[in-house]
Amino acid sequence: MFKDILFGTSASPAGDYAARVAFELAGRFDAHLRLVHVLGVPSRGFSYLAEDVRTGEQVVIDDDYKAWVEEEIKTYYAKQLEKCNDYSIHVCVGHPHREILREARNSNPDLIVLGGPTEENEGSAYKKIVAGSTIQLVSKSALCPVLLVSRPAASFWGGISSVVFGADFSKASDAAFKFAKKVAASIPGCELHIFHAMDIGPVHTGLSLSQEEIEDKIREARKKIRHKYVANLEGFEKYSMEVWEGLPYVEIVKFAREKQADLIVMAYSTKDVDAENARLGSNMEQVIMRSTCPVISVNRKMAKN
Amino acid sequence: MPKKILVIDDDPNIADYLTTIFENNGYEVCSANDVNTGYEVAKAEKPDLVTLDLEMPTEWGPRFYRKLSQDDELKNIPVIVISALSGNQYAIQKAAATITKPFDRDELMKIVKDVLME
Repeated sequence: MFKDILFGTSASPAGDYAARVAFELAGRFDAHLRLVHVLGVPSRGFSYLAEDVRTGEQVVIDDDYKAWVEEEIKTYYAKQLEKCNDYSIHVCVGHPHREILREARNSNPDLIVLGGPTEENEGSAYKKIVAGSTIQLVSKSALCPVLLVSRPAASFWGGISSVVFGADFSKASDAAFKFAKKVAASIPGCELHIFHAMDIGPVHTGLSLSQEEIEDKIREARKKIRHKYVANLEGFEKYSMEVWEGLPYVEIVKFAREKQADLIVMAYSTKDVDAENARLGSNMEQVIMRSTCPVISVNRKMAKN
Repeated sequence: MPKKILVIDDDPNIADYLTTIFENNGYEVCSANDVNTGYEVAKAEKPDLVTLDLEMPTEWGPRFYRKLSQDDELKNIPVIVISALSGNQYAIQKAAATITKPFDRDELMKIVKDVLME
């Protein structure tokens, strides 16, 4: 299923949980693991000076420094690399999202793995609930699925055997479904749970719905799931479908926890067309930040492909 | 009749150490070194408590817990996670307790007795 995995890493504790998942997946699928470390942003344009993201120091970027950083990465991941048969380390300079996307364009991986935010404001409310800019921008523009691990709880599954597909019936969601199905079908015994969370928050509905109206909408959504997704599950038996009402991200996280899912697949469905300033949809972002398993984002570019 | 504890750990030294501690404290002990064997032993032995490592070859500890919790006969057996991994307290939400390796044997026994309500 995965033969080439790109792991964007800061080689710091912020990326430890994502590293656990990246190394485990690479081992399980016998994939090449491409560790990409963007060591800093040049102080201006083509400056040879950059601020190292790990040390915070202004450093002169040359081949010696890059080689030293590569050695540091090898030391940091020494234990994992011992068991990893096929890997390469790429150290580059620039804005992390651009360099990760550039490397992805060049190497065409099956999957990009990213960790949680690395902002310095450790413990702040902002960090707890807002995905970092690299996550946002790579998820928006990558041409392959992006797997995100933002909490320690999401890093202990050791493989995939129970996938939750969060359906929102958009075009990107169709691509996410195809991907979720492909993953589930490629792993013997893997379960696929198709789940739709119906938003009944007053902000979105504008008025409070009666219980009859809610149940009608749930029936409607179940019908949609049957026609749109279940009809395309030819021969796949280990699936279930559920529609719950509530606050979508809360319900998705709860559902995945209830099913003890080890992967959530969702569509990146933001309508923002400005790639540099785009933010993940709020539901996707909150699921990433709160989920007890890794979350894979599939964007509209994949839907076009 | 002594209570029974199932130890699941792929490290034989840790499994032996835990077995010795539990036996010295009057418990009956059975053990397994991977998730699938652990589940088979749990089915056969119906232990009162399981101690569970997280990172093991082929299947990780949370998968054992998933199987256990989906089995009507076994789903109420309390599980104590014993692992050296960072953030291990978040690995299994419904675990009765989490202990980080290396651990203190007195602390371990205090937690075991507490979970077994002794």
